[in-house]
Amino acid sequence: MPATLEAKNITCLYKGSGRGVTDVSLAVGRGEIFGLVGPNGSGKSTLLRVLSTALAPDSGSFSIGGADGLAERREVRARIGLMVDRPTHYGDLSGWANAFFFARAYGMEEEKANGTLAELFDCFALAEYAHDKAKTYSYGMGKKLALIEAVAHGPELLLLDEPSLGLDYTSQLAYQRKVRELAGAGAGVVLASNQVDEVEALCDRVAFLHKGRMLVEGTPEKLVSSLRGVKRIVATLRNPVEYAPVGEVAGVERVATEGRNLVVHCEDRPGLVADVVAGIVEAGGDIAELSVRRPNLEDVFVKLTGEALRSDEA
Amino acid sequence: MRLNPPDAYWKKDVALFFGKRFALVIKMIYPLAIIVPVAASGIPARYAAAVVGIVAIMAGTFGAGESLTSDLNDGILARVALTPLSPYRIVFEILAVNVVLDFLQLLPALFVVYFLHPVSLVWVCAATFAVFATLVAANCIGVFIANFTSSPADVLLYATAILSPLIYASGFFRNANPMGGLATLRDFVPFAYANDALKTVFGLTTGTTPLETFIYPTITCAVLVVLVCLTAPRLLSQRL
Repeated sequence: MPATLEAKNITCLYKGSGRGVTDVSLAVGRGEIFGLVGPNGSGKSTLLRVLSTALAPDSGSFSIGGADGLAERREVRARIGLMVDRPTHYGDLSGWANAFFFARAYGMEEEKANGTLAELFDCFALAEYAHDKAKTYSYGMGKKLALIEAVAHGPELLLLDEPSLGLDYTSQLAYQRKVRELAGAGAGVVLASNQVDEVEALCDRVAFLHKGRMLVEGTPEKLVSSLRGVKRIVATLRNPVEYAPVGEVAGVERVATEGRNLVVHCEDRPGLVADVVAGIVEAGGDIAELSVRRPNLEDVFVKLTGEALRSDEA
Repeated sequence: MRLNPPDAYWKKDVALFFGKRFALVIKMIYPLAIIVPVAASGIPARYAAAVVGIVAIMAGTFGAGESLTSDLNDGILARVALTPLSPYRIVFEILAVNVVLDFLQLLPALFVVYFLHPVSLVWVCAATFAVFATLVAANCIGVFIANFTSSPADVLLYATAILSPLIYASGFFRNANPMGGLATLRDFVPFAYANDALKTVFGLTTGTTPLETFIYPTITCAVLVVLVCLTAPRLLSQRL
Protein backbone atom coordinates (compact mmCIF):
# COMPACT_ATOMS: atom_id res chain seq x y z
CA MET A 1 0.00 0.00 0.00
CA PRO A 2 1.70 3.30 -1.02
CA ALA A 3 2.03 5.64 1.94
CA THR A 4 -0.04 8.82 1.99
CA LEU A 5 1.64 9.93 5.17
CA GLU A 6 5.16 9.10 6.26
CA ALA A 7 6.44 10.60 9.49
CA LYS A 8 9.91 9.83 10.81
CA ASN A 9 11.22 10.49 14.29
CA ILE A 10 8.98 13.46 15.01
CA THR A 11 9.90 15.28 18.20
CA CYS A 12 8.02 18.39 19.24
CA LEU A 13 8.14 19.54 22.84
CA TYR A 14 6.47 22.64 24.28
CA LYS A 15 9.04 24.91 25.85
CA GLY A 16 7.11 25.69 29.01
CA SER A 17 5.81 22.26 30.01
CA GLY A 18 8.24 19.97 28.24
CA ARG A 19 5.24 17.95 27.06
CA GLY A 20 4.64 17.01 23.46
CA VAL A 21 5.78 14.07 21.36
CA THR A 22 9.16 12.38 21.23
CA ASP A 23 10.61 10.32 18.40
CA VAL A 24 7.29 9.29 16.85
CA SER A 25 7.31 7.54 13.49
CA LEU A 26 4.30 6.33 11.56
CA ALA A 27 3.10 5.61 8.06
CA VAL A 28 -0.46 5.68 6.79
CA GLY A 29 -1.28 4.10 3.45
CA ARG A 30 -3.83 5.13 0.84
CA GLY A 31 -7.28 4.19 2.03
CA GLU A 32 -6.05 3.29 5.50
CA ILE A 33 -7.68 4.53 8.70
CA PHE A 34 -5.07 4.91 11.40
CA GLY A 35 -6.06 5.45 15.02
CA LEU A 36 -4.03 7.39 17.55
CA VAL A 37 -5.13 6.43 21.03
CA GLY A 38 -3.96 7.88 24.31
CA PRO A 39 -5.21 9.74 27.35
CA ASN A 40 -5.40 13.52 27.54
CA GLY A 41 -1.91 15.00 27.35
CA SER A 42 -0.44 11.95 25.64
CA GLY A 43 0.57 13.97 22.58
CA LYS A 44 -2.17 13.11 20.08
CA SER A 45 -3.16 16.70 19.38
CA THR A 46 0.47 17.82 19.27
CA LEU A 47 1.26 15.18 16.68
CA LEU A 48 -1.73 16.28 14.61
CA ARG A 49 -0.62 19.90 14.92
CA VAL A 50 2.77 18.94 13.51
CA LEU A 51 1.24 16.88 10.70
CA SER A 52 -1.13 19.71 9.83
CA THR A 53 1.88 22.08 9.62
CA ALA A 54 0.56 24.23 12.46
CA LEU A 55 3.69 23.48 14.48
CA ALA A 56 7.19 22.89 13.20
CA PRO A 57 8.77 19.86 14.89
CA ASP A 58 11.99 20.22 16.85
CA SER A 59 13.34 17.32 14.82
CA GLY A 60 12.15 14.67 12.42
CA SER A 61 10.44 14.89 9.07
CA PHE A 62 7.20 13.97 7.37
CA SER A 63 5.68 13.92 3.94
CA ILE A 64 2.11 13.80 2.71
CA GLY A 65 1.47 12.43 -0.74
CA GLY A 66 5.18 12.86 -1.42
CA ALA A 67 5.21 16.58 -0.50
CA ASP A 68 7.68 17.50 2.22
CA GLY A 69 5.87 18.67 5.35
CA LEU A 70 8.58 21.16 6.27
CA ALA A 71 9.68 22.53 2.90
CA GLU A 72 6.39 22.40 0.95
CA ARG A 73 3.89 23.44 3.56
CA ARG A 74 1.29 25.00 1.27
CA GLU A 75 1.38 21.93 -0.96
CA VAL A 76 0.89 19.74 2.09
CA ARG A 77 -1.96 21.92 3.40
CA ALA A 78 -3.79 21.55 0.10
CA ARG A 79 -3.72 17.77 0.50
CA ILE A 80 -5.00 17.71 4.07
CA GLY A 81 -8.48 17.82 5.53
CA LEU A 82 -8.28 18.95 9.11
CA MET A 83 -10.64 18.90 12.01
CA VAL A 84 -9.11 20.36 15.15
CA ASP A 85 -10.18 19.33 18.64
CA ARG A 86 -11.85 22.68 19.36
CA PRO A 87 -13.29 23.84 16.07
CA THR A 88 -14.10 27.52 15.66
CA HIS A 89 -16.04 29.38 13.02
CA TYR A 90 -16.91 32.90 12.02
CA GLY A 91 -19.92 33.18 14.30
CA ASP A 92 -21.58 36.03 12.42
CA LEU A 93 -21.47 34.13 9.14
CA SER A 94 -23.89 31.31 8.40
CA GLY A 95 -22.77 27.70 8.65
CA TRP A 96 -23.00 27.49 4.88
CA ALA A 97 -20.91 30.65 4.40
CA ASN A 98 -18.23 29.24 6.70
CA ALA A 99 -18.11 25.93 4.84
CA PHE A 100 -18.17 27.69 1.46
CA PHE A 101 -15.31 29.96 2.50
CA PHE A 102 -13.15 26.98 3.49
CA ALA A 103 -14.11 24.99 0.38
CA ARG A 104 -12.99 27.89 -1.81
CA ALA A 105 -9.86 28.38 0.28
CA TYR A 106 -8.99 24.76 -0.57
CA GLY A 107 -9.37 25.61 -4.24
CA MET A 108 -12.79 24.09 -5.00
CA GLU A 109 -14.67 25.55 -7.95
CA GLU A 110 -17.82 27.42 -6.97
CA GLU A 111 -20.22 25.01 -8.63
CA LYS A 112 -18.51 21.93 -7.25
CA ALA A 113 -18.35 23.50 -3.79
CA ASN A 114 -22.09 24.21 -3.86
CA GLY A 115 -22.91 20.64 -4.92
CA THR A 116 -20.60 18.95 -2.46
CA LEU A 117 -21.64 21.14 0.45
CA ALA A 118 -25.33 20.56 -0.24
CA GLU A 119 -24.70 16.82 -0.07
CA LEU A 120 -22.63 17.09 3.11
CA PHE A 121 -25.11 19.38 4.89
CA ASP A 122 -27.76 16.77 4.12
CA CYS A 123 -25.53 13.91 5.21
CA PHE A 124 -24.88 15.54 8.60
CA ALA A 125 -28.48 16.72 9.03
CA LEU A 126 -27.42 20.38 8.98
CA ALA A 127 -29.31 21.43 5.84
CA GLU A 128 -32.13 22.93 7.87
CA TYR A 129 -29.67 25.14 9.75
CA ALA A 130 -27.30 25.89 6.86
CA HIS A 131 -28.23 29.57 6.71
CA ASP A 132 -28.33 30.16 10.45
CA LYS A 133 -25.42 32.05 11.94
CA ALA A 134 -22.70 29.70 13.14
CA LYS A 135 -22.77 31.33 16.58
CA THR A 136 -26.28 29.91 17.08
CA TYR A 137 -25.02 26.34 16.54
CA SER A 138 -24.75 23.91 19.41
CA TYR A 139 -21.39 22.30 20.20
CA GLY A 140 -22.34 19.18 18.25
CA MET A 141 -23.53 21.19 15.26
CA GLY A 142 -20.25 23.11 15.30
CA LYS A 143 -18.37 19.80 15.23
CA LYS A 144 -20.44 18.63 12.27
CA LEU A 145 -19.72 21.88 10.45
CA ALA A 146 -16.01 21.39 11.13
CA LEU A 147 -16.25 17.87 9.72
CA ILE A 148 -17.92 19.22 6.59
CA GLU A 149 -15.13 21.79 6.22
CA ALA A 150 -12.53 19.04 6.66
CA VAL A 151 -13.88 16.61 4.09
CA ALA A 152 -15.54 18.81 1.44
CA HIS A 153 -12.50 19.23 -0.81
CA GLY A 154 -11.74 15.49 -0.92
CA PRO A 155 -8.39 15.51 0.87
CA GLU A 156 -5.66 12.92 0.38
CA LEU A 157 -5.16 12.77 4.12
CA LEU A 158 -7.77 13.46 6.72
CA LEU A 159 -6.58 14.49 10.19
CA LEU A 160 -9.33 14.22 12.78
CA ASP A 161 -8.90 15.17 16.41
CA GLU A 162 -11.64 13.74 18.66
CA PRO A 163 -14.16 13.97 15.82
CA SER A 164 -17.09 12.20 17.43
CA LEU A 165 -16.95 13.95 20.79
CA GLY A 166 -20.24 15.82 21.20
CA LEU A 167 -21.95 14.23 18.19
CA ASP A 168 -25.34 12.61 18.59
CA TYR A 169 -25.68 8.93 17.67
CA THR A 170 -27.09 9.54 14.18
CA SER A 171 -24.34 12.02 13.38
CA GLN A 172 -21.71 9.59 14.66
CA LEU A 173 -22.99 7.01 12.22
CA ALA A 174 -23.03 9.60 9.41
CA TYR A 175 -19.48 10.65 10.23
CA GLN A 176 -18.23 7.04 10.37
CA ARG A 177 -19.93 6.32 7.04
CA LYS A 178 -18.31 9.40 5.48
CA VAL A 179 -14.86 8.50 6.81
CA ARG A 180 -15.18 4.96 5.41
CA GLU A 181 -16.37 6.41 2.11
CA LEU A 182 -13.36 8.73 1.91
CA ALA A 183 -10.99 5.90 2.83
CA GLY A 184 -12.69 3.73 0.21
CA ALA A 185 -11.92 6.45 -2.33
CA GLY A 186 -8.24 6.31 -1.36
CA ALA A 187 -7.82 8.93 1.36
CA GLY A 188 -5.62 8.13 4.33
CA VAL A 189 -7.16 8.99 7.68
CA VAL A 190 -5.48 9.71 11.00
CA LEU A 191 -8.01 9.62 13.80
CA ALA A 192 -6.95 10.80 17.26
CA SER A 193 -9.37 9.69 19.91
CA ASN A 194 -9.72 8.01 23.23
CA GLN A 195 -13.14 6.62 22.32
CA VAL A 196 -12.00 3.01 22.00
CA ASP A 197 -15.28 1.73 20.59
CA GLU A 198 -15.06 4.20 17.73
CA VAL A 199 -11.39 3.42 17.09
CA GLU A 200 -11.98 -0.33 17.12
CA ALA A 201 -14.93 0.02 14.76
CA LEU A 202 -13.22 2.32 12.28
CA CYS A 203 -9.48 1.85 12.28
CA ASP A 204 -7.37 -0.55 10.29
CA ARG A 205 -4.38 0.07 12.53
CA VAL A 206 -3.96 1.67 15.91
CA ALA A 207 -1.04 3.20 17.78
CA PHE A 208 -0.97 3.99 21.49
CA LEU A 209 0.61 7.22 22.62
CA HIS A 210 1.68 7.61 26.21
CA LYS A 211 3.56 10.60 27.59
CA GLY A 212 4.50 11.66 24.07
CA ARG A 213 5.92 8.34 22.97
CA MET A 214 4.46 5.67 20.76
CA LEU A 215 4.12 2.51 22.82
CA VAL A 216 2.87 -0.04 20.35
CA GLU A 217 1.19 -0.21 16.98
CA GLY A 218 -0.87 -2.86 15.22
CA THR A 219 -4.32 -3.87 14.06
CA PRO A 220 -7.01 -3.65 16.76
CA GLU A 221 -7.56 -7.41 16.52
CA LYS A 222 -3.86 -8.17 16.99
CA LEU A 223 -3.55 -5.81 19.93
CA VAL A 224 -6.64 -7.12 21.67
CA SER A 225 -5.72 -10.76 21.03
CA SER A 226 -2.42 -10.14 22.81
CA LEU A 227 -4.53 -9.98 25.96
CA ARG A 228 -5.58 -13.61 25.84
CA GLY A 229 -6.58 -14.67 29.32
CA VAL A 230 -7.65 -11.19 30.39
CA LYS A 231 -11.25 -10.52 31.36
CA ARG A 232 -13.14 -7.31 31.83
CA ILE A 233 -15.96 -7.49 34.34
CA VAL A 234 -18.35 -4.55 34.33
CA ALA A 235 -20.73 -4.19 37.25
CA THR A 236 -23.41 -1.49 37.19
CA LEU A 237 -24.05 -0.45 40.79
CA ARG A 238 -27.05 1.18 42.36
CA ASN A 239 -24.84 2.86 44.93
CA PRO A 240 -21.27 4.16 45.02
CA VAL A 241 -18.91 1.97 47.05
CA GLU A 242 -15.38 2.02 48.37
CA TYR A 243 -14.07 -0.61 46.01
CA ALA A 244 -10.59 -1.22 47.44
CA PRO A 245 -11.48 -4.77 48.65
CA VAL A 246 -12.28 -5.77 45.08
CA GLY A 247 -8.73 -4.93 44.10
CA GLU A 248 -7.44 -7.46 46.63
CA VAL A 249 -9.22 -10.39 44.98
CA ALA A 250 -6.66 -12.80 43.51
CA GLY A 251 -6.22 -12.18 39.77
CA VAL A 252 -7.65 -8.66 39.78
CA GLU A 253 -5.19 -6.27 38.12
CA ARG A 254 -7.07 -3.01 38.25
CA VAL A 255 -10.40 -1.58 39.35
CA ALA A 256 -11.79 1.64 37.96
CA THR A 257 -15.08 3.50 37.86
CA GLU A 258 -16.78 4.65 34.68
CA GLY A 259 -19.86 6.59 35.73
CA ARG A 260 -22.07 4.11 37.62
CA ASN A 261 -20.03 1.17 36.36
CA LEU A 262 -17.27 -0.55 38.26
CA VAL A 263 -14.81 -1.95 35.72
CA VAL A 264 -12.57 -4.79 36.87
CA HIS A 265 -9.63 -5.88 34.74
CA CYS A 266 -8.43 -9.34 35.73
CA GLU A 267 -6.50 -12.44 34.71
CA ASP A 268 -8.90 -15.27 33.93
CA ARG A 269 -9.06 -18.24 36.33
CA PRO A 270 -11.76 -20.60 37.57
CA GLY A 271 -14.11 -18.96 40.07
CA LEU A 272 -12.86 -15.48 39.31
CA VAL A 273 -16.25 -13.91 38.50
CA ALA A 274 -17.78 -15.30 41.70
CA ASP A 275 -14.89 -13.93 43.74
CA VAL A 276 -15.20 -10.49 42.15
CA VAL A 277 -18.96 -10.42 42.78
CA ALA A 278 -18.33 -11.48 46.37
CA GLY A 279 -15.77 -8.71 46.70
CA ILE A 280 -18.23 -6.09 45.42
CA VAL A 281 -21.00 -7.32 47.71
CA GLU A 282 -18.58 -7.36 50.64
CA ALA A 283 -17.71 -3.75 49.84
CA GLY A 284 -21.41 -2.88 50.12
CA GLY A 285 -22.17 -2.77 46.39
CA ASP A 286 -25.72 -3.39 45.16
CA ILE A 287 -25.24 -4.86 41.69
CA ALA A 288 -27.94 -3.90 39.18
CA GLU A 289 -26.25 -5.42 36.15
CA LEU A 290 -23.19 -7.55 35.55
CA SER A 291 -21.38 -8.43 32.36
CA VAL A 292 -18.17 -10.22 31.49
CA ARG A 293 -16.74 -8.72 28.33
CA ARG A 294 -13.91 -9.52 26.00
CA PRO A 295 -10.97 -7.18 26.41
CA ASN A 296 -10.84 -4.09 24.22
CA LEU A 297 -8.20 -1.52 23.27
CA GLU A 298 -8.68 0.20 26.58
CA ASP A 299 -7.57 -2.97 28.35
CA VAL A 300 -4.53 -3.11 26.10
CA PHE A 301 -3.62 0.42 27.15
CA VAL A 302 -4.16 -0.40 30.82
CA LYS A 303 -2.02 -3.50 30.45
CA LEU A 304 0.77 -1.54 28.78
CA THR A 305 0.86 1.46 31.07
CA GLY A 306 -1.04 0.55 34.21
CA GLU A 307 -2.91 3.81 33.68
CA ALA A 308 -6.42 4.71 32.64
CA LEU A 309 -7.16 5.88 29.12
CA ARG A 310 -9.86 8.28 30.17
CA SER A 311 -9.66 10.88 32.87
CA ASP A 312 -12.92 9.89 34.57
CA GLU A 313 -11.29 6.68 35.69
CA ALA A 314 -9.55 6.31 38.99
CA MET B 1 -28.22 43.09 3.37
CA ARG B 2 -27.96 39.65 1.71
CA LEU B 3 -24.56 38.85 0.24
CA ASN B 4 -23.27 35.80 -1.55
CA PRO B 5 -21.21 33.49 0.66
CA PRO B 6 -17.60 34.73 0.79
CA ASP B 7 -15.04 32.89 -1.31
CA ALA B 8 -12.04 34.99 -0.27
CA TYR B 9 -10.76 36.37 2.99
CA TRP B 10 -11.51 40.00 2.09
CA LYS B 11 -15.04 39.10 1.04
CA LYS B 12 -15.53 37.42 4.40
CA ASP B 13 -14.59 40.69 6.13
CA VAL B 14 -16.90 42.67 3.84
CA ALA B 15 -19.74 40.22 4.55
CA LEU B 16 -19.15 40.58 8.29
CA PHE B 17 -18.96 44.39 8.00
CA PHE B 18 -22.28 44.66 6.21
CA GLY B 19 -23.85 41.74 8.05
CA LYS B 20 -24.13 43.46 11.44
CA ARG B 21 -26.64 46.21 10.82
CA PHE B 22 -26.52 47.95 14.18
CA ALA B 23 -22.72 47.91 14.28
CA LEU B 24 -22.69 49.17 10.70
CA VAL B 25 -24.87 52.14 11.58
CA ILE B 26 -22.64 53.01 14.54
CA LYS B 27 -19.50 52.63 12.44
CA MET B 28 -20.86 54.94 9.77
CA ILE B 29 -22.23 57.51 12.19
CA TYR B 30 -19.44 57.94 14.72
CA PRO B 31 -16.95 59.68 12.38
CA LEU B 32 -19.75 62.03 11.33
CA ALA B 33 -20.72 62.60 14.96
CA ILE B 34 -17.16 63.61 15.88
CA ILE B 35 -15.96 65.38 12.75
CA VAL B 36 -19.04 67.32 11.58
CA PRO B 37 -19.46 69.42 14.79
CA VAL B 38 -15.74 70.18 14.68
CA ALA B 39 -15.87 71.17 11.02
CA ALA B 40 -18.95 73.32 11.60
CA SER B 41 -17.48 75.08 14.62
CA GLY B 42 -15.08 77.95 14.61
CA ILE B 43 -12.20 76.21 16.39
CA PRO B 44 -8.71 76.96 15.08
CA ALA B 45 -7.87 75.15 11.84
CA ARG B 46 -4.91 73.25 13.29
CA TYR B 47 -7.10 71.67 15.98
CA ALA B 48 -9.89 70.88 13.55
CA ALA B 49 -7.34 69.17 11.29
CA ALA B 50 -5.90 67.33 14.30
CA VAL B 51 -9.32 65.95 15.26
CA VAL B 52 -9.94 64.56 11.77
CA GLY B 53 -6.43 63.10 11.68
CA ILE B 54 -6.74 61.50 15.11
CA VAL B 55 -10.10 59.92 14.21
CA ALA B 56 -8.48 58.39 11.11
CA ILE B 57 -5.49 57.11 13.08
CA MET B 58 -7.62 55.57 15.81
CA ALA B 59 -10.10 54.00 13.39
CA GLY B 60 -7.24 52.43 11.45
CA THR B 61 -5.11 51.18 14.31
CA PHE B 62 -7.84 49.81 16.51
CA GLY B 63 -9.95 48.49 13.63
CA ALA B 64 -7.35 46.10 12.28
CA GLY B 65 -5.78 45.35 15.66
CA GLU B 66 -9.03 44.60 17.41
CA SER B 67 -10.53 42.40 14.69
CA LEU B 68 -7.26 40.54 14.23
CA THR B 69 -6.73 39.83 17.92
CA SER B 70 -10.33 38.73 18.20
CA ASP B 71 -9.84 36.21 15.36
CA LEU B 72 -6.53 35.11 16.86
CA ASN B 73 -8.20 34.49 20.21
CA ASP B 74 -10.96 32.44 18.59
CA GLY B 75 -8.35 30.29 16.86
CA ILE B 76 -10.20 30.78 13.58
CA LEU B 77 -7.30 32.67 12.02
CA ALA B 78 -4.89 29.84 12.85
CA ARG B 79 -7.35 27.44 11.20
CA VAL B 80 -7.58 29.63 8.08
CA ALA B 81 -3.79 29.74 8.01
CA LEU B 82 -3.79 25.93 7.65
CA THR B 83 -5.56 26.15 4.30
CA PRO B 84 -3.41 26.43 1.17
CA LEU B 85 -3.94 30.21 1.08
CA SER B 86 -0.68 32.14 1.16
CA PRO B 87 -0.20 33.67 4.62
CA TYR B 88 1.18 36.81 2.97
CA ARG B 89 -1.95 37.08 0.88
CA ILE B 90 -4.15 36.60 3.94
CA VAL B 91 -2.40 39.42 5.80
CA PHE B 92 -2.46 41.66 2.74
CA GLU B 93 -6.20 41.05 2.39
CA ILE B 94 -6.76 41.76 6.08
CA LEU B 95 -4.87 45.01 5.69
CA ALA B 96 -6.47 46.05 2.42
CA VAL B 97 -10.04 45.30 3.42
CA ASN B 98 -9.68 47.06 6.77
CA VAL B 99 -8.25 50.14 5.10
CA VAL B 100 -11.03 50.29 2.52
CA LEU B 101 -13.76 49.73 5.11
CA ASP B 102 -12.27 52.38 7.42
CA PHE B 103 -12.05 54.73 4.46
CA LEU B 104 -15.72 54.13 3.63
CA GLN B 105 -16.56 55.07 7.21
CA LEU B 106 -14.62 58.33 7.02
CA LEU B 107 -15.60 59.37 3.53
CA PRO B 108 -19.04 60.89 4.36
CA ALA B 109 -17.47 62.98 7.13
CA LEU B 110 -14.73 64.15 4.77
CA PHE B 111 -17.33 65.18 2.20
CA VAL B 112 -19.08 67.27 4.84
CA VAL B 113 -15.74 68.90 5.70
CA TYR B 114 -15.13 69.74 2.03
CA PHE B 115 -18.67 71.10 1.75
CA LEU B 116 -18.25 73.35 4.78
CA HIS B 117 -14.67 74.37 3.87
CA PRO B 118 -14.47 74.56 0.07
CA VAL B 119 -10.93 74.32 -1.36
CA SER B 120 -9.48 73.60 -4.75
CA LEU B 121 -10.08 70.15 -6.18
CA VAL B 122 -6.39 69.32 -6.04
CA TRP B 123 -6.37 69.85 -2.26
CA VAL B 124 -9.58 67.86 -1.88
CA CYS B 125 -7.88 64.99 -3.69
CA ALA B 126 -4.65 65.46 -1.75
CA ALA B 127 -6.39 65.54 1.62
CA THR B 128 -8.54 62.53 0.76
CA PHE B 129 -5.51 60.59 -0.37
CA ALA B 130 -3.54 61.65 2.72
CA VAL B 131 -6.34 60.37 4.98
CA PHE B 132 -6.31 57.10 3.02
CA ALA B 133 -2.54 56.86 3.51
CA THR B 134 -3.02 57.57 7.21
CA LEU B 135 -5.46 54.65 7.37
CA VAL B 136 -2.95 52.39 5.58
CA ALA B 137 -0.20 53.33 8.04
CA ALA B 138 -2.50 53.03 11.05
CA ASN B 139 -3.78 49.63 9.95
CA CYS B 140 -0.18 48.49 9.41
CA ILE B 141 0.52 49.49 13.01
CA GLY B 142 -2.58 47.58 14.17
CA VAL B 143 -1.51 44.44 12.31
CA PHE B 144 2.04 44.82 13.59
CA ILE B 145 0.78 45.04 17.18
CA ALA B 146 -1.31 41.89 16.70
CA ASN B 147 1.97 40.03 16.21
CA PHE B 148 2.75 40.50 19.86
CA THR B 149 -0.57 40.09 21.62
CA SER B 150 -3.90 38.39 21.28
CA SER B 151 -5.58 40.72 23.75
CA PRO B 152 -7.64 43.65 22.44
CA ALA B 153 -6.82 45.50 25.66
CA ASP B 154 -3.11 45.14 24.96
CA VAL B 155 -3.70 46.53 21.48
CA LEU B 156 -4.87 49.76 23.11
CA LEU B 157 -1.79 49.89 25.31
CA TYR B 158 0.73 49.09 22.60
CA ALA B 159 -1.01 51.39 20.12
CA THR B 160 -0.78 54.28 22.56
CA ALA B 161 2.93 53.60 23.02
CA ILE B 162 3.56 53.54 19.27
CA LEU B 163 1.17 56.29 18.19
CA SER B 164 2.05 58.94 20.77
CA PRO B 165 5.54 59.68 19.39
CA LEU B 166 4.28 59.46 15.81
CA ILE B 167 1.44 61.90 16.52
CA TYR B 168 3.94 64.20 18.22
CA ALA B 169 6.34 63.95 15.26
CA SER B 170 3.49 64.67 12.85
CA GLY B 171 2.81 68.01 14.53
CA PHE B 172 -0.87 67.47 15.29
CA PHE B 173 -0.78 69.45 18.51
CA ARG B 174 2.85 70.39 19.19
CA ASN B 175 6.01 70.29 17.11
CA ALA B 176 4.20 71.98 14.24
CA ASN B 177 7.43 73.44 12.86
CA PRO B 178 10.12 70.89 13.69
CA MET B 179 13.82 71.36 13.07
CA GLY B 180 16.71 68.97 12.46
CA GLY B 181 16.15 65.31 13.22
CA LEU B 182 12.49 65.79 14.11
CA ALA B 183 11.88 67.47 10.75
CA THR B 184 13.51 64.53 8.97
CA LEU B 185 11.48 62.07 11.02
CA ARG B 186 8.28 63.97 10.22
CA ASP B 187 8.93 63.53 6.49
CA PHE B 188 8.64 59.76 6.92
CA VAL B 189 5.34 59.77 8.83
CA PRO B 190 2.24 59.66 6.60
CA PHE B 191 0.14 61.20 9.39
CA ALA B 192 2.08 64.45 8.94
CA TYR B 193 0.96 64.81 5.34
CA ALA B 194 -2.67 64.20 6.31
CA ASN B 195 -2.29 66.83 9.00
CA ASP B 196 -0.85 69.38 6.56
CA ALA B 197 -3.44 68.64 3.87
CA LEU B 198 -6.30 68.93 6.37
CA LYS B 199 -4.87 72.16 7.76
CA THR B 200 -4.95 73.51 4.21
CA VAL B 201 -8.56 72.39 3.84
CA PHE B 202 -9.43 74.19 7.06
CA GLY B 203 -7.75 77.37 5.81
CA LEU B 204 -4.14 77.28 7.01
CA THR B 205 -1.13 77.43 4.74
CA THR B 206 1.62 74.84 5.16
CA GLY B 207 4.86 74.20 3.32
CA THR B 208 3.62 70.88 1.95
CA THR B 209 2.56 70.71 -1.69
CA PRO B 210 -0.17 68.43 -3.08
CA LEU B 211 2.49 66.53 -5.06
CA GLU B 212 4.45 65.79 -1.87
CA THR B 213 1.21 64.66 -0.25
CA PHE B 214 0.73 62.09 -2.98
CA ILE B 215 4.32 60.87 -3.35
CA TYR B 216 5.93 60.56 0.08
CA PRO B 217 3.11 58.82 1.97
CA THR B 218 2.80 56.40 -0.96
CA ILE B 219 6.43 55.40 -0.61
CA THR B 220 6.28 55.10 3.18
CA CYS B 221 3.02 53.13 3.08
CA ALA B 222 4.32 50.76 0.41
CA VAL B 223 7.32 49.97 2.60
CA LEU B 224 5.10 49.53 5.67
CA VAL B 225 2.71 47.20 3.83
CA VAL B 226 5.57 45.01 2.61
CA LEU B 227 7.13 44.88 6.09
CA VAL B 228 3.82 44.03 7.77
CA CYS B 229 3.03 41.34 5.20
CA LEU B 230 6.41 39.80 5.91
CA THR B 231 5.27 39.18 9.49
CA ALA B 232 2.46 36.92 8.17
CA PRO B 233 3.97 33.54 9.13
CA ARG B 234 4.46 34.72 12.70
CA LEU B 235 1.13 36.53 12.90
CA LEU B 236 -0.86 33.53 11.71
CA SER B 237 1.03 30.91 13.69
CA GLN B 238 -0.66 29.15 16.59
CA ARG B 239 -0.31 31.02 19.88
CA LEU B 240 0.66 28.47 22.53
